[in-house]
Amino acid sequence: MLNKKLGIIDLTTGKIKIETIPDSLRRKYLGGRGLNIYYLNKLLKRDVDALSPDNVLIFGAGFLTGTLTPSSSRFSVSAKSPETGIFGDANCGGFFGPELRYAGFDRLIITGKAKKPSYLLVKDGKIEICDSKKYWGKDTTEAQKDIKNDLGPCELVLCGVAGEKLVRFACVRTGIKNAAGRCGMGAVMGSKNLKAVVAQGTGGIKIKYPDKLQKLVEEIKDYLFASKITPILGKLGTPLLYEVSNTIGAIRTKNSQLNAWTEKLNAEEVEKFVEKMVSCSSCMMHCRHRNTLGGEGPEYTALGVIGANICIEEPDQVIELNNICNELGLDISSAGTILAWAYELYEKGLIDKKTTGGLELKFGDLELSKKLLHMISRREGFGNILAESTQAVKQLGEKTKDYLIAVKGLPQSDPHDVRYLKAFALGIATSSRGADHLRSRPTLEIFQKLPPEVRERIYGIKIQDPTTLDEKEKAVYFSEHIFATVDCLGVCKFICHGFNSPKFLGYSHFKDLIYATTGWEITEKELEAAGRRVIDTERMFNLKQGMTKADDTLPKRYFDDPMPLKMAKGHHVDRKEFALALDRYYKLHDWTEAGMLKAERVKELEAIK
Amino acid sequence: MKYLYVYPELCSGCRECSLACSLGKFGECNPKKAAVSVVRDEFERFEYPVICMQCDDALCLKFCPQNAYYKESTASGEVIKYNKDKCIKCRFCATICPHCAITVLDNEVVKCDLCDGDPKCVKVCSTGALKYEEETAELSERRKKMARKVLSEMGKTAAGAGKH
Repeated sequence: MLNKKLGIIDLTTGKIKIETIPDSLRRKYLGGRGLNIYYLNKLLKRDVDALSPDNVLIFGAGFLTGTLTPSSSRFSVSAKSPETGIFGDANCGGFFGPELRYAGFDRLIITGKAKKPSYLLVKDGKIEICDSKKYWGKDTTEAQKDIKNDLGPCELVLCGVAGEKLVRFACVRTGIKNAAGRCGMGAVMGSKNLKAVVAQGTGGIKIKYPDKLQKLVEEIKDYLFASKITPILGKLGTPLLYEVSNTIGAIRTKNSQLNAWTEKLNAEEVEKFVEKMVSCSSCMMHCRHRNTLGGEGPEYTALGVIGANICIEEPDQVIELNNICNELGLDISSAGTILAWAYELYEKGLIDKKTTGGLELKFGDLELSKKLLHMISRREGFGNILAESTQAVKQLGEKTKDYLIAVKGLPQSDPHDVRYLKAFALGIATSSRGADHLRSRPTLEIFQKLPPEVRERIYGIKIQDPTTLDEKEKAVYFSEHIFATVDCLGVCKFICHGFNSPKFLGYSHFKDLIYATTGWEITEKELEAAGRRVIDTERMFNLKQGMTKADDTLPKRYFDDPMPLKMAKGHHVDRKEFALALDRYYKLHDWTEAGMLKAERVKELEAIK
Repeated sequence: MKYLYVYPELCSGCRECSLACSLGKFGECNPKKAAVSVVRDEFERFEYPVICMQCDDALCLKFCPQNAYYKESTASGEVIKYNKDKCIKCRFCATICPHCAITVLDNEVVKCDLCDGDPKCVKVCSTGALKYEEETAELSERRKKMARKVLSEMGKTAAGAGKH
């Protein structure tokens, strides 16, 4: 039940193998992000350059992806990251994940490098490597339209020009704005000469108990709609979070030199540019903004990272930058962080016109930002340096690292300045892919009126002060487990318990959904254990790639510079307290003091087949 | 009489209607094998649910060379139903349906039968793009909506309209 095939494609030799994923493995890792790290850990050799043919690129649909399960559109793209050198993993919605399954596949493992620009055609149980010369060099919308014109109805993922040019933060795109954004998975596609993966399928996903699933989904929807936040999320989408963070004084502004920005980027202002809210496959939330400027978005991330962070004040200007990133296939989170970093370096005199090729860099300059995004995507001039993302430190000098808002080489995605809410800080410091909020952000901490009993029930935290690190390891621990589990199931975090609301879907709902779809009796504890297995396997993989305890840290500025504005004024992260919190966090995970997995756990994980 | 109504402007394109339909009819989740289909194109920027309108003078029924279609009176209204045993899979019904609402896939003709008066698609539609209602109730609701709109544009909200 729910089991589609595994396609293994060697682009160098053109050999294609089709296999079945054993149920024993699916019970341990479910699907999506979980099975992706399982296979990556098994298949990737040591010391592989992320942009070499030896890297292993995996597209994996979630366990429930493509079913009637609400918001079950998601798939994960994983490989060794060219941006960070550790686990690269990005999660994406839209319609490709379901279509991959309707075409007969749960997962594609891609190795080698094609001799010429190629795309994969995955159609009703078969995989073919095809010539993509006519789509190479095209922006993501044009290429998608052309492919759809040539092949008929299909869903596809592709890299933009940025991926072709091996920009280290090139994303994988599908549709108008959905992206497997993080960790440079688009560059891995480019390095393999792979422009796109196209899915076309007419096969359904057989369900064990159809009536049960229908009834369960109706109940779940009633439950989700009973929450006050559901209609707000469907009306405003993620931009509603901008004001929430900005009110505290926790919006990354001017490369985190400031911590509050204009109210002109509030959701109500963004809404003026929204034509219609649309959905991903199976999603009741419809949080995607079809904007009046020809694209989709912006998300909260864009408003912060390519808005406040580079001092852009007008929503239409953020939308314009957002649409450009999407067309070029650049990860917005990294793009905004890297631009802001460069602007501050110039402001501080750490780089000058000699480095920038004569360009005068300054915050708030829309035209400059647009120009740089295009230059980055084609690796032209100064863009060639910025295309290296955080690795540009090698060219710009070690001192420039102090101004970089990144962890483990990954620029921070969350526009939230984490110096105030300490659970957020511990979350980005320990996330398995670097500074990212979708791994473990205990979002509920942001609600200033969160009732103590709710905080205790969900996170197990008795201390009510969100600005201390005390007990925050528990909030991160809870969040990373449930997020890992939903990433394996292919369900969106938007309806996940503890992300937007204390009343969304938790392990008990997932248990029931798994039973209705497959007849498998999996306990809530087993589901949480699957999440833990994923986190441990990712940790194990990262340690093998050379990551150490020292990498579980924060940008220098978060430790050393107190926030200057609003309620958050004066807050920063204390190094000693942080070290203690990290110790407690490791302990909770049953890792060693050095943040290593214990030998018996490594043995246990490596033995899983 | 109860009818299935469609409001394309409310459709967000999620396809839960199609998934529920295929689940109910075939025990699988397959948006292409459903009696309700969402035509969507992100690039052309539209979503449009295609449903069977149970036409009074139905072309599928009228022109099927095998008389595989028949009209059944139910408590809530008339439903055009399809008899699999008579069908020769010529797909003529699918090509002449003015709403393009009949699907042929996997050697199956998929035609809406309103799930015996309890359409599954409506139950999972989150935006109200699909509704199954008494014609009088639907019309009255639509008229109210129109009235509110007109009055609000005239600067008199529906609530405040009677005050003067």
